[in-house]
Amino acid sequence: MATESSEGEEEGKITGGNQHLIVDDDLREMGKKAAWSVSSCKPGNGVCTLCDDNLDSFWQSDGAQPHLVNIQFQKKVKLQLVVLYVDFKLDESYTPSKISIRTGDGFHNLREIKTVELVKPTGWVYLSLSGNDPRETFVNTFMLQIAVLSNHLNGRDTHVRQIKVYGPRPNPIPHQPFQFTSREFITYSSVR
Amino acid sequence: MNLLNEAETALCPANEPNAEVPNNAAGHYLLGLIHSYTDRRKSAIHNFKQALAIDPLLWAAYEELCVLGAAEEATAFFGDSAALCIQKQNINHASASQNMHISNEDCSLLSTRNFGSEDLSPRQLKRTQGDNLKGIPGAATLGAVYQPTNGGLPNLPLYNTPSTMATQFSGVVPPPLCRNAQLNAPNTSMLITDNSPKSIVNSNIQAPRRKFVDEGKLRKISGRLFSDSGARRSTRIAAEAGANSNANATLVAANGISNSSKYLGGSKLSSMALRSVTIRKGQSWSNENWDEGIHNETFDDSHANVTITNYTSSPFGDARSLETEGASMPVSGAIMSASRVLSGASEILGLLRILGDGYRLSCLYRCQDALDIYMKLPHKHYNTGWVLSQVGKAYFELVDYLESASFFSLARQASPYSLEGSDIYSTVLYHLKEDMKLSYLAQELISTDRLAPQSWCAMGNCYSLQKDHETALKSFQRAVQLNSRFAYAHTLCGHEYVALEDFENGIKSYLSALRIDARHYNSWYGLGMLYLRQEKFEFSELHFRMAFQISPHSSVIMSYLGTALHALKKNEEALEMMERAILADKKNPLPLYQKANILVSLESFDEALEVLEELKEYAPRESSVYALMGKIYKRRNMHDKAMLHFGLALDLKPSATDVATIKTAIEKLHVPDEIEDTL
Repeated sequence: MATESSEGEEEGKITGGNQHLIVDDDLREMGKKAAWSVSSCKPGNGVCTLCDDNLDSFWQSDGAQPHLVNIQFQKKVKLQLVVLYVDFKLDESYTPSKISIRTGDGFHNLREIKTVELVKPTGWVYLSLSGNDPRETFVNTFMLQIAVLSNHLNGRDTHVRQIKVYGPRPNPIPHQPFQFTSREFITYSSVR
Repeated sequence: MNLLNEAETALCPANEPNAEVPNNAAGHYLLGLIHSYTDRRKSAIHNFKQALAIDPLLWAAYEELCVLGAAEEATAFFGDSAALCIQKQNINHASASQNMHISNEDCSLLSTRNFGSEDLSPRQLKRTQGDNLKGIPGAATLGAVYQPTNGGLPNLPLYNTPSTMATQFSGVVPPPLCRNAQLNAPNTSMLITDNSPKSIVNSNIQAPRRKFVDEGKLRKISGRLFSDSGARRSTRIAAEAGANSNANATLVAANGISNSSKYLGGSKLSSMALRSVTIRKGQSWSNENWDEGIHNETFDDSHANVTITNYTSSPFGDARSLETEGASMPVSGAIMSASRVLSGASEILGLLRILGDGYRLSCLYRCQDALDIYMKLPHKHYNTGWVLSQVGKAYFELVDYLESASFFSLARQASPYSLEGSDIYSTVLYHLKEDMKLSYLAQELISTDRLAPQSWCAMGNCYSLQKDHETALKSFQRAVQLNSRFAYAHTLCGHEYVALEDFENGIKSYLSALRIDARHYNSWYGLGMLYLRQEKFEFSELHFRMAFQISPHSSVIMSYLGTALHALKKNEEALEMMERAILADKKNPLPLYQKANILVSLESFDEALEVLEELKEYAPRESSVYALMGKIYKRRNMHDKAMLHFGLALDLKPSATDVATIKTAIEKLHVPDEIEDTL
């Protein structure tokens, strides 16, 4: 498994997956400041396994489909990328197949923004939230819901080993219209 | 140990007689430190000034005054009056020691008589010393004072210091004294065995030997020398008792007075002993000791040519060293004269004056002036670790990071084990984004001293450069743990909290830094930035203003103050501040950019465009300049120019957010383009 991703995005199908998690420097993880919850789980395989940076521990659902992972923020945040670690070789019928991503202000007004179908994924799967329009590079939302609609081989419950959510880095210098890129500007831009 | 109350009560009643400490100066210095730690700025300043008045060579007190921002011109403290003051001190010591001399004599005779060694007759003494002294007629004096033999010990209390010294080191007999005695009287081996009551005798034996080194008029000098060595010994004891900086301060004072490298060598070595004692204490005072130890080295270098012998062996070394000491003693004594004291003192004071002024100016953040003053130092002094790192700091404040880095690396070559100023060096490397050099520095510092806060500050800066803010925070917290009085560590913690967007803890850290050092403008700046981010603009302006008051020449602070004013809609003041910032530092592009920003918000587009054109010359690869210009052209409906500039901005690879903003702006231009809409 090399580090290239084999992404085919026709009709939202994604095959394969990366072994390494490589993310732009522009992005930073947003999950640490969010409240995570799941629709159901087996004891011992609960929500904490999704953000513990441990790829051996996984979340196992224990109820009816769709299985939901809810990520709620205290204020509206800009999100750009969701990355999941799922492995068909390890989880087989527990591996999610159809995933829907919904955003909104709360449980009452979630709207689907993306659907993908995974085909035998083995590693990190990148789901970008940007639309085609440059205006839609980021999704501005209070809440993100990842719904597992179906699994491989028609499994009932699902295993997900890790979920990471990314958004843009804020401007290190507040109250500026644009961020600085050149060394001259950056050197003078702060006192440490 | 942070038992400030107890320390204060111990010092305060004892302040007048101050029998524990050879000079009142050290007591005042300690008291001043206590006051500054407990926020009593005025009394702290008063105490430091008194310390300097009593002992003008107490550099540490002057340093503290500078840090408090209350120092006057260095000439006030290190002027000619100071030199006279020092000489007066010597005369005082000398006259007192003359009495001591009498009593010493008696003591030695008594002791020798106790041992019943007939050889130790005054004539014998004279002879042994005569060999050394080449027939100096000390015998006459000896004979003269030989009379009141019965006085003996009761005469001792005439001079306070030796008695306290005796009580202090009854159990601890510094070996050189033993060996001096050995040299003195070849058959006093028995003397050495019986330590406790004879320790004072030993010191006294040394005293007369030194006394007889010179003629009558030189007696004053040797008296001073003795009191110095006495002071040194008592400081060593005091150091072991735990008053570290106190001891070292008097050590510096003692060093400053004497001109001979022997003493400097001796004190350097004893200061090294102190250093080893204090090095693991992990307090900021140990850093001061480093500082003063380095001072000692500086003085050593400068006065090496004045001295006769190169006294290199440790006082705890072999007896042979003392023979050289004995041999050098008469020679150096013969050369020295009372006027030499004055000239030596004024030489030292001149040096201290320059250093003092430089330090004071850099504490007041008048960095260009400080640099000019440091240039006045003679070449040998300029190239020492302390001065080079001060110069580096001055360049750092002037935001000239390249120069600063070069000076700091020179400083590290000059004194590779000094930690003072290396935290600033790590910040400079952080600004220059030199991650390799920074990590190398951090590794070196940690291996030099794992328990020094500076090393952990450097480590934290290293992690922060790699954007690993959590580990950086841990390192800075470790630095805080090691020395909670190290203000910069708190400030850096605050910066990391802000980077992690944990504003509450950030505020706490900045405030703790300010509690330790109210003139730490970085913390004021950090708080200002924090409030700016939280959009509490009044607070932001207030804090930037405080930072500005402390460091009025910093163009970065001025430009941020201007930004805060602009956010508060006080646009004229904001523009004025920006102008000042532009004038303060021609190389800083930020005020120009902010000025353009303000002008755009005031809708004076032409002026803004002018400013931005200027900026384009200076920083041609800055995408935000083009982006802003594009925005202005768009407002003006000059779409083709806007398009051009947006394109240029995009070419320069801005951040993702900006890419989105710019592309959105392009979309909205409604310009019939050959380029596809979907960029």
